[in-house]
Parts: sequence; structure tokens; C-alpha cells
Amino acid sequence: MAKRFVTTKVEVEGREETKVVELPTRDPEPWGNDASLHVVGRREKRMDALEKVTGEAEYTADVQLPGMLYVALKRANVAAGRITTLDLAPALAQPGVRGGLATGDLQGIKLDGIQLFDGTIHYANQPIAAICADTLEIAERALREIRVEVEPMPHAIDAASALADDAPRVKPHGNTHRASPRVTSRGDLEAGLRDADVTIVREYRTPVALHTALEPHGAVAAWSGDRVTVWESTQGIFNTRADIAEAFELPLSSVRVVKNYMGGGFGAKNGASFAAYTAVALSRKLRRPVRCIFDREGEQTDAGNRTATVQRVTLAARRDGTLTAISLDATIPLGIGGWLSSPARMYSEMYRCANVRTSETFVFTNTAPMASFRAPGNVEGAFGLESAMDVLARELDMDPLELRRRNYADHDQERNRRYSAKHLDECYTRGAERFGWSRARSRKRNEDARVHRGVGMASICWGAGGGPPAYATVRINGDGSIEVLTGAQDLGTGARTVMAQIAAEVLGAKLEDVRTVLGDTERLPFASNSWGSITTASVGPAVRVAAEEARDALFEAAAGMLDTQPDDLESRDSEIHAKSSDRCLLFREVCEKLGDVMIIGQGSRGPNPDGTALYAFGAQFAEVEVDVETGRVRVLRVVSAHDSGRIVNPTLAESQLEGGIIQGLGYALFEERILDARMGLPLNPTMHDYKIPTIADVPEIDAFFVDIPDTVANHTGAKGVAEPPIIGTAPAIANAVMDALGVEVGEIPITPWRLAGRIGA
Amino acid sequence: MRLIVNGASHEVAAPDHERLLTTLRERLHLTGTKLVCGRGECGACTVLVDGAPAYSCLTLTAACDGREIATIEGLARDGELHPVQQAFVEHDALQCGFCTPGQILAAVALLDRQPHPTEDDVRRGMSGNLCRCGAYPKIVRAVLAAAEGADAHG
Repeated sequence: MAKRFVTTKVEVEGREETKVVELPTRDPEPWGNDASLHVVGRREKRMDALEKVTGEAEYTADVQLPGMLYVALKRANVAAGRITTLDLAPALAQPGVRGGLATGDLQGIKLDGIQLFDGTIHYANQPIAAICADTLEIAERALREIRVEVEPMPHAIDAASALADDAPRVKPHGNTHRASPRVTSRGDLEAGLRDADVTIVREYRTPVALHTALEPHGAVAAWSGDRVTVWESTQGIFNTRADIAEAFELPLSSVRVVKNYMGGGFGAKNGASFAAYTAVALSRKLRRPVRCIFDREGEQTDAGNRTATVQRVTLAARRDGTLTAISLDATIPLGIGGWLSSPARMYSEMYRCANVRTSETFVFTNTAPMASFRAPGNVEGAFGLESAMDVLARELDMDPLELRRRNYADHDQERNRRYSAKHLDECYTRGAERFGWSRARSRKRNEDARVHRGVGMASICWGAGGGPPAYATVRINGDGSIEVLTGAQDLGTGARTVMAQIAAEVLGAKLEDVRTVLGDTERLPFASNSWGSITTASVGPAVRVAAEEARDALFEAAAGMLDTQPDDLESRDSEIHAKSSDRCLLFREVCEKLGDVMIIGQGSRGPNPDGTALYAFGAQFAEVEVDVETGRVRVLRVVSAHDSGRIVNPTLAESQLEGGIIQGLGYALFEERILDARMGLPLNPTMHDYKIPTIADVPEIDAFFVDIPDTVANHTGAKGVAEPPIIGTAPAIANAVMDALGVEVGEIPITPWRLAGRIGA
Repeated sequence: MRLIVNGASHEVAAPDHERLLTTLRERLHLTGTKLVCGRGECGACTVLVDGAPAYSCLTLTAACDGREIATIEGLARDGELHPVQQAFVEHDALQCGFCTPGQILAAVALLDRQPHPTEDDVRRGMSGNLCRCGAYPKIVRAVLAAAEGADAHG
């Protein structure tokens, strides 16, 4: 008998994990290029758009429960210190105040390695106490009554000061993460450098960027008996459930996590948040529903961020452009905690090169913990690598696109395995064509003009193949309406629509007859976090299997009613048709005859193929205008060509591409968290001072897919879409600026003052 | 004091310092209007006061006594979406949807002032409404389409 449980590799956010997977009951033929599909691949409207345009979509902050209390958080105003006095009593005595949390009240609960409310201040704006009251206003006002005394301690807010000889201890065991330096190496770097005709050495710097989701982190918790329901703005309901259950020593079945709609995640909402722990604890203590939602300053200062990096890069090549050596030495300040996202992976994976060495040093600093942020690691790495590639191209007097083509990687060299599919060449060709790359490159420059134009490009790769475990149930109701149930999340990505399209395709149903239900741990089967661009490729195959099972049951029932065999039946637009007799029945007619019989199909996601890298690829091209007097950069247009396997819904997928490019544009030109150098306090914690792109900043965007199903990756042929588009934007823009001015950029964001300094120099 | 919200009259006993956003969300349970920055920087809380767009986070409820307030909940009439809402759906001018109510009301106000906007007018008119998902290109298309549609039906 075949084994029921096997292991497989799954890559998420650049990390590869081994997962146990239960083999699905069936393994359908992959939908290849020639598959005749009617709903999958169609530009269907977003299925939850109606709720969103009418204001009816219920986000976490919109949950209002009878008797609900509100939490306000007291935050630290130094970057490091010890709390010597913390007395809530004067605050608790205020009318309308119902309770609070202070040092020692969440013993044993940690977030990013930090014990909550532990009496130590590790970074500015860290929450040190919570007040819970009848209204938010009362709670906020009562915060001022808290008696607090803090003994400030020396702090280190950047990598350089944390690594200095006389640096204060940021963490008891030292200021670098124990994995540092994390080194990867293949071939012989020295030999590669000796082999080269041209070698360039450069340093690149990237800023701390803030997710700035419009809906902040937040949760509402309500206990009933010994069970708690938590509404949380989260990318992972099951992760959140596990975190809460562990923290409060509850069985998983006593925690229900709900997330219907969320106002953006971008990587920062992957488990129980500080707000959730606080709301659950206070709700248990006070036996009332409790809401804890970060205010904007809390969100901008204490809700995760993209790490800054310093990347020292060496690229070496022969005269013909063949790369002979790549070396990276990167320093990455994490803040007080986080995980080790890797800028190095771009360097070791993007191009063919026999001799590669990367080294990453992860540093703890007295700043808020980092979090995954849309393509963590690759975004930062791409800026360094792709900027350096253009410098190399200049040294070689070669078209930057040609240099990239000459170093095309035909397999995953780091782990010596094949790609399930790779159509980056197609992205280069079609992207360059639609951009008019050759024409734009050869255009004559007017060196005397105040405004210079330039063009640049960059390559993209990202492990977006998804994987198990993921489960789905498809139910056909007595009236023929269909529900797809899966514990995934729709962050605004379109997962609801995509899952319904897959189910409708298999069932031969009208899309409007299908509804996807997501985001409830109590009622839905497991699906993993919606992160790493994995949801379509992870959950989609499970939905397909569940829908096939449901379709088979439906056909069996219908066959009896139509006096034929199930294999004589086909369905389209919610109607079952017998090929032999031309008789047909609507789904509704079949189901009404079945009475209260509920047709239920179960599906799960099978293992990934062994020894195979599942990647999405892309190429981005940008044209900019630079005012040489002010240093102001305006992006005129971006062309973005992507290989993400089959595209289930081109409209929604293009929306994600545009969104990624626009976030990338902000990263390239505006976005940078700024801390006061002396005190370590945040200086731009508002949406006015931390600048994200507005509608007026958006260039002409032509974003598209080569749309070739990846039948090796999984049987839907789809891979991830969300993260790749942000990877290439900053380097493409920086390269365009270099093309315009002949001046290397080296550091983002490319603000007018930064660029004006370089032009002047 | 009396607020006329989406055509219905409400007696509200809001203190003088209460902002309209709080009154709408917490007293009238109209949660379609979103709190994002709370200080007039993002536009997510945009409502119409006597037809003009206003950041409800910077508007005192006390200043709205007797005035007509339109929120996202009141835009559709008799189950029929407003043309701007319809255009947002048609053109996929939203992703997570959190900024959408504010975007739509800003667009309604813009088209009221400027029934025939150019693309530049739309970019300027909508630049006070931030969207982090980056639905901007499709918001531009949706607003222009709503303007054209109004012409076609007009």
C-alpha cells in the first residue's frame, strides 16, 4: 500500500522548510497549455468588490460587540532603559477605566523573542502598559495618569553603533545573531576573480521601510466560558490560533480566530500580534469583549519593517560579459528581533556564475523588530545586485539587458536542481519589446538640458511555488449553490475570487453560483498563512481536488436521474448534459431531487516535485526624468513582464503587479524610516512624514504575464504573483537614474537632496 | 444636535470635542468610514458634508449640526450602486478595500465639481486619498469611466 504521509520541501519568503503532507485522494492531470478551460484564466470581477464599495465589508476595527471595552497603550519614550516605577493605580481610578496590564502581567508570552511587559525597554515606542476602558477616549486620557519612571540606558540604533567595540549590550548574549556571519559559497571565488577582465567593487545601502498597511494591527477578543474568539487583522488565522492557544495554555479547539476582511498585510501580520495578546488577556480578566487596535503612530513605529542593509558587492566578468565571480558581504540590522531574511539569495540565484560567496551579518539594535515585507531579502538584494550589474555593463560597454542574457541561469545552482519552469528569457524579450528598450537606449541625450531622461531595467526571481499542507471543502447545497471552504485569507489579493474560479471550472458551474468562505479557524479546514505569494499555488490545487470529488458525486446522482452513466455527462454553466441523449438537468434540479443530501468534496494539496526549484521570474523596465538642478526624479513609465505560471484571473493579477510596482517606486524614491540619531526616537511616524506614493506619483504602467502554465509545479499550473513585482522596481529606477545622469545612485531612497549631493559631487 | 446622515435624521449627544468620524462609527455604527491616520493625511475617512468632501477625522460633529452628511453606506440607492461604485467594481479599482469608501466619496465630490475631468484632473483631485495596495492606475480609469458613463446616461 502506498504511504499516506510523506515529506516535501516548501519555500516561503525565501526560507525552505520540510513539511509533512498527506497524499491527496487523487492527483489530477495538470492543466497544461492545451487544457480547455472556461472560467480559469478569465477576467472575472473581484467577488468581494460589492462589499468593499458599499462599506459593508467588516474589517477587524469594524467589529462592535455589546459591552466592548477599548485599549490604549502606553509606549516607551526612550530607546533603551529599565522601568523603575510603573503604577497604574491613578489611571485605574479614573471613571470608565476597567482594567490594565503592566510589568509581569503577560508572563511567559513572547513576541519576536521579547517577553511582553517585562519591565525592560528595548526600543522606542515599545508598549509598557495597557489601559482598558469604556471608550478609547477614556483609555487614552487615563494613560497620562500612569506613574512611570524610567532609567534610560545606553542604546545602539544602527548596525555600526551596535557592532562598535564599546557598544552597549542590546541582547544579553551579544549584538549579532548567533547565525552570523551566515556564509554560502560555491566554486572558488579567488579563482573567479583572477579569471576576470573586469572587476567592480561597490557598496549599496537600503533603508528601513514601513509596511504602512492602511488597516493597522489590531484585534478584538471575546471570551465565552473557557473559549475565546479573536477577530484579528491577520495573514494567518491558524498561526494566530496556535500562538494564542500556546500563550494562554488552551487547546486549539478553544480558540477561534476570524478574519473576514483585512486592510492590507504586506508581510507584517503573520501571527498573533501584540494587540491580540493584550485583548485576549484583558478580555479574560474583565470578562468583557475587548478591542485593541494600534493607532497610526504605533503602526508606523512598532508593527514590523523591512530591514536596512549595507551590501558590499564585488562582481567580476570576462570581456564578453561572462560572470566569473560574485561576492557579497552584507550587514543587516534586525532591530530587537525578527528572522533572517536574506539579501544574499539574489546574488547566489539570479545569474549563472560558478564562483559565488555571500556573507550576511545580522545585528540586533535598539529598534522595533523587523517583519517580512513583500519579498523580504530579494527586494534589498535586488537593489544591490542589479545596480552593480548595470555598473558592470557600463564598464564592459555592453547593453545591460545583453549582460543579463549572457548570464542566464538554466538551473538552481545553489542547490543544484532544475527549475520546474523558467521563462525569464520570454520576459526579457517581450518586456524589452513593449518598452522599446533598444530605441530608448540609443536615443540621443541633450546633456545641456535641465531635465535628463534615462532608462534602466532589472531582473526578478522569487520562490513562489507554494506547497502543502492546504485543505479545501466544496459543498453543493440543496438549491445547487456552491461553497468553497478553506482556511486561507484574502488580503486584498483576490484569493476569494481565484478559488471560486477554480471550483467553478472543475464543476462546470456558473461563477456567480460559487461563493468562497475564508478566514475562520473554527469552521474551515487548514490552509497556511497567506504569505510568500503562495496562496494560489498552495490552496488552488486543494480546491481543484475538492471540486473534482464533489463533481463526481453530483454526476453520479445526475446519471441515475438521466438514465445514463456518469462518464456520459459533462457540465457547463451549472447545467449537466448527457452526451448520448442530449438530456440535461440544472444543478439546482439535481440537488432539489436529492433533498437534504449535501454533496461534499474534500481536497488537499499534494507534495511538491522532488529536487525542483519552483520559481516565479520577471523583468522590469523603467524610464525616468531627472531634474539636474533639484535632483527630483519622476518615473515616467514602467513595463513589467512576469512569468508566474498560469494566471487564474489576469485582471486581479495585474492589479497586484501594479501594486507591487507602486510600492517599489515608493521604496526607490521616498520611503525611509528616520530615527533621531542621538535619542533613537522615531521622527517620521505619520503618513505625512513617511511618504508612500500618491496617485499623482504613479507612472504609466504596462504590467503583464507571459502566462505559460507550470505543469511541473502543481496541477493547476499556477505560481505566485504578489511579491515578484516589487523586487525589480527600485533597481530599475536607480539604473534609469544612472543612465540619465551618468552618476551612480548607490543608496535609496533617491531623494532630491541625496541625488543633488551626488550630482554636485 | 441633529445630523442628517444619508437622508435620515439623527439626534446625537456628542460632546463638543468629538470628531465626526467617531460619531459616525461609534454612535451611528456606520463603520464604512475608516480611521487610518486620524490627522487628515490619508483621506480614508472622507465623507461629504453638504456635498463637499471633508476629512471626518478633522471635522467636529458639533460643527455639523443640521447639515447633510453622506457616507459610503448611503451612496447606493434602492439597491442600485452609484455610478462611481459601479465603476470601481468594473475596473477593479480596489484591492484590500480599506481606502475604498474614502476614494469613492472623493471621486463623487470631484465629479460633482468637475463632471468632465482629464486624467490630470483626476490625479490631482484624488491625490489626497492614499492607497497602499496601489490600486491607483485602476482608480484613475474608474473615475474617468464614471464620468463618461454619467455623460452617456446624462
